[in-house]
Amino acid sequence: MAAVQDGQMELDAEKETKPEVLSDGTSNLSGSTASGTPLTAGGAPTQEDQQTLIAVLQFLKRNKLSDSVEILRREAGLGDQEDSQTLEGSGGGKGDGGGGDANSLLSRVSIPSAAAPQNTPTPATVKRADEQLDVSVVLSAYSQQGDPSLYQVYYSGLKNFIESVLDCHRAELSQLFYPLFVHMYLELVYNNHESKAKAFFEKFGGDQECYYQDDLRILCGLTKKEHLKGNEALLDFRTSRFVLRISRDSYQLLKRHLQERHNNQIWNIIQEHLYIDIFDGMPRSKSQIDSLSGSFAGEARREVNKVKVFHGLLKEPEIEVPLDDEDDEAENEEGKPKKKKTKKDSVGSKSKKQDPNAPQQNRIPLPELKDSDKLDKVMYMKECTKRIRLNPENLPSICFYSFLNAYQGLTAVDFTDDSSLLAGGFADSTVRVWSVTPKKLRKVKSATELNLIDKESDDVLERIMDEKTASELKILYGHGGPVYGLSFSPDRNYLLSSSEDGTVRLWSLQTFTCLVGYKGHNYPVWDTHFSPFGYYFVSGGHDRVARLWATDHYQPLRIFAGHLADVTCTRFHPNSNYVATGSTDRTIRLWDVLNGNCVRIFTGHKGPIHSLAFSPNGKFLASGSTDGRVLLWDIGHGLMIGELKGHTDTIYALKFSRDGEILASGSMDNTVRLWDSIKAFDDVETDDFTAATGHVPLPDNSQELLLGTYHSKSTPVTHLHFTRRNLLLAAGAYTSQ
Amino acid sequence: MASPKTVPKDAQVMMQILKDMGITEYEPRVINQMLEFTYRYVTTIIEDAKIYSTHAKKSNVDADDIKLAIQCRVDQSFISPPPRDFLLDIARQKNQTPLPLIKPYTGPRLPPDRYCLTAPNYRLKSLQKKVSSSAGRITVPRLSVGAVSSRPSTPTLGTPSVQTVGTKVGTPVSLTGQRFTVQIPSSQAASVKSATPTTPTVQNVLINPSLIGSKNILITTNMVSQNSSGDSTSLKRKHEDEDDYDAL
Repeated sequence: MAAVQDGQMELDAEKETKPEVLSDGTSNLSGSTASGTPLTAGGAPTQEDQQTLIAVLQFLKRNKLSDSVEILRREAGLGDQEDSQTLEGSGGGKGDGGGGDANSLLSRVSIPSAAAPQNTPTPATVKRADEQLDVSVVLSAYSQQGDPSLYQVYYSGLKNFIESVLDCHRAELSQLFYPLFVHMYLELVYNNHESKAKAFFEKFGGDQECYYQDDLRILCGLTKKEHLKGNEALLDFRTSRFVLRISRDSYQLLKRHLQERHNNQIWNIIQEHLYIDIFDGMPRSKSQIDSLSGSFAGEARREVNKVKVFHGLLKEPEIEVPLDDEDDEAENEEGKPKKKKTKKDSVGSKSKKQDPNAPQQNRIPLPELKDSDKLDKVMYMKECTKRIRLNPENLPSICFYSFLNAYQGLTAVDFTDDSSLLAGGFADSTVRVWSVTPKKLRKVKSATELNLIDKESDDVLERIMDEKTASELKILYGHGGPVYGLSFSPDRNYLLSSSEDGTVRLWSLQTFTCLVGYKGHNYPVWDTHFSPFGYYFVSGGHDRVARLWATDHYQPLRIFAGHLADVTCTRFHPNSNYVATGSTDRTIRLWDVLNGNCVRIFTGHKGPIHSLAFSPNGKFLASGSTDGRVLLWDIGHGLMIGELKGHTDTIYALKFSRDGEILASGSMDNTVRLWDSIKAFDDVETDDFTAATGHVPLPDNSQELLLGTYHSKSTPVTHLHFTRRNLLLAAGAYTSQ
Repeated sequence: MASPKTVPKDAQVMMQILKDMGITEYEPRVINQMLEFTYRYVTTIIEDAKIYSTHAKKSNVDADDIKLAIQCRVDQSFISPPPRDFLLDIARQKNQTPLPLIKPYTGPRLPPDRYCLTAPNYRLKSLQKKVSSSAGRITVPRLSVGAVSSRPSTPTLGTPSVQTVGTKVGTPVSLTGQRFTVQIPSSQAASVKSATPTTPTVQNVLINPSLIGSKNILITTNMVSQNSSGDSTSLKRKHEDEDDYDAL
């Protein structure tokens, strides 16, 4: 359970046992499942047992169970002398109460270590005092690691030190303030020092970074131990390690300073609650640190982002595309005989070699293409040829679909890939499906009528539709709460909706009835998304996990657990092998579908993340959150490569154009903004060196990348969609304020 | 928003709480909803505490009773999501199994029917009263000679009737081996075997066995069913797929 990567060996053996037994004790008594066997550096396991026995002995003595003391002493074989000495130490120590004495004992310990040459009995007593200290600390368990009134002193001491340090180190060491502050505050609250906790908060709360202020506001409402119990996020914060990245030089400075001091409370807290990821290199500047910080658990460790991710696209299957007569009508008006030529689909088969970054075709099982899928693909290819090429001079037109009379009840929107259907999820638990094209929505005929139709006719797919049910709008009832997520299947047969009632429902778009209700989350499900190949879908909710389902399994296939707060946004990668989840803990995680592992953690947002978009080539990820910034991430290297500032409110919609040239973002500030994504990705060079240090110098070029801002009257933008020909569709509910 | 002077004290307190928690924009009804919630919660707790204190034969409600009341209610009404280590544990378990292979060409890929919402959620009542009234009208029943097995009591025949209601047209034909199909003269049916889809009128009726000796006559009907064609296959699948649900 070593908190610090380097430097273990430099500590004295005694010092080392102390913090480790400390952490051992606390971890044992807190009941956490973390491994409770500490590695005592120099000592054999018997020393640990000895200490435990002595601890038990002290406990019995304290409670005046003298007979048990005698029996234990006899059986454990502890000598009388040893005990009497420790008894005296303990008698003096215990009288004043645990906290202050731990402090004084600590000081006693550190002094002898500083004054190295001693006679032989003194090291022995020192060792016993050391053990005594360990024992008292073990016994005092969860209680504060120092006198509560001294916490303010420790903190201000550290603050003064950091302010006196060289500029280049100051930024890095200032990262310590926030986690230390929160942990010390929680310690005080947990041990029922309410007034001291409040005073501590008032004195140092305002110093923290502005992007932590929201968390601090919640924190200041917590003043009693009972408040902590129900709060999962805080419990996770307390048990998980806050990760800090500090360069080696700054770290040496800090360590030297803290070890000179006699009161090592801060050092204890650092070792127990913080994980310091040390890297060799230049200390980072304030802006670099600010760009990556903001999440609940600090930044991501560099090892986490080193796993190889197959971000390439899967090969498209070869399909023969017949050149359609209708397209050539204009040319052949004179009625010349039209020759039908077949053209092979050359998009996917240009390179026969396997893209090294692409996953194997059969890495995860994918459904095979049916005939109807092949027809869809042919349509897709035809539309691709008519696609408008977008660039900074040729911006897309935007068509805005406003939902009127929604009374702020519109909670989710989705378009089909071919932009023929539009679905809206509402707070009154209905899902409404509209046809965007003039073609109306029809239900399939009933069973009796289906028997009557001629099954061999060419237009059988038209005949199975019941004309009497044709309408522009279909309302789907079934959910028991507001519908927060919608997703059409790629083959336009199904619609998924996720709701606050904890279920994800699969609706058929042929009968417009509900087919399945997937129950797994017992808490609101905030988002759901179909895989680009159909069959799989992912959902994320309030229970902090995302689940991967297949339409024909009533239980999830994979559970992606790791976020510290709700999962608000879930998206599939274009090759369907990875899932990205954005969460309220301000991180984005990329999960591997094959084995459920988290392969990337991206930190940097300062607010909950509400939108994610993969670039069509699969290499990049864009994310938008409540802080109004769009961040761009390189998936392969695991780095942040761009920051787009401009929006002033939460960004709920992000979409790349069909070839990835333009990124469109829509937000609650009633605007749609277009960004030049080619330029954003070109400017940045990522290579192994930058990957090693974990950060890339970000150019501040948001203004150059912004290609256009388009305001709607008073309609926040909920969803964006590029048609196959690169027309941008936007959707939102008109709010009359 | 109502001016602070005319707003009652409780509402002022609530506004202050919202301000302290950093919520600056909210609809005016939020205050009312929050006050309602507070009132309901506090009265529930205090009532529970009163019950506990009378149970402990105390004359007054004291802090311990309130604490106990809060503890009990927290587990009931305010459940929080499972803790992180538990989630990591079950995730590890679940993620170990490899992804199942996809069977080709299976039509709509849906879970076994018991987990779907595609089954009919209604069942037609059998009309006993009409039996006696219409029995008198059957003067010349045209019996189709099929194997007549003496069916036991009425209720078991009720189940086949349910099936016929929900199924496609063709199924009643297969069940005629077990019963008679009789055409009530008042119907419009042309054939004895009411298999054609255009006969909507014959009713599903049980005739009193005493009328015709030991043989039971069942008049089958075709109610025009609105269910999708997937249902007949779905009913058949129900039996096959009974044990087919996926194990963990």
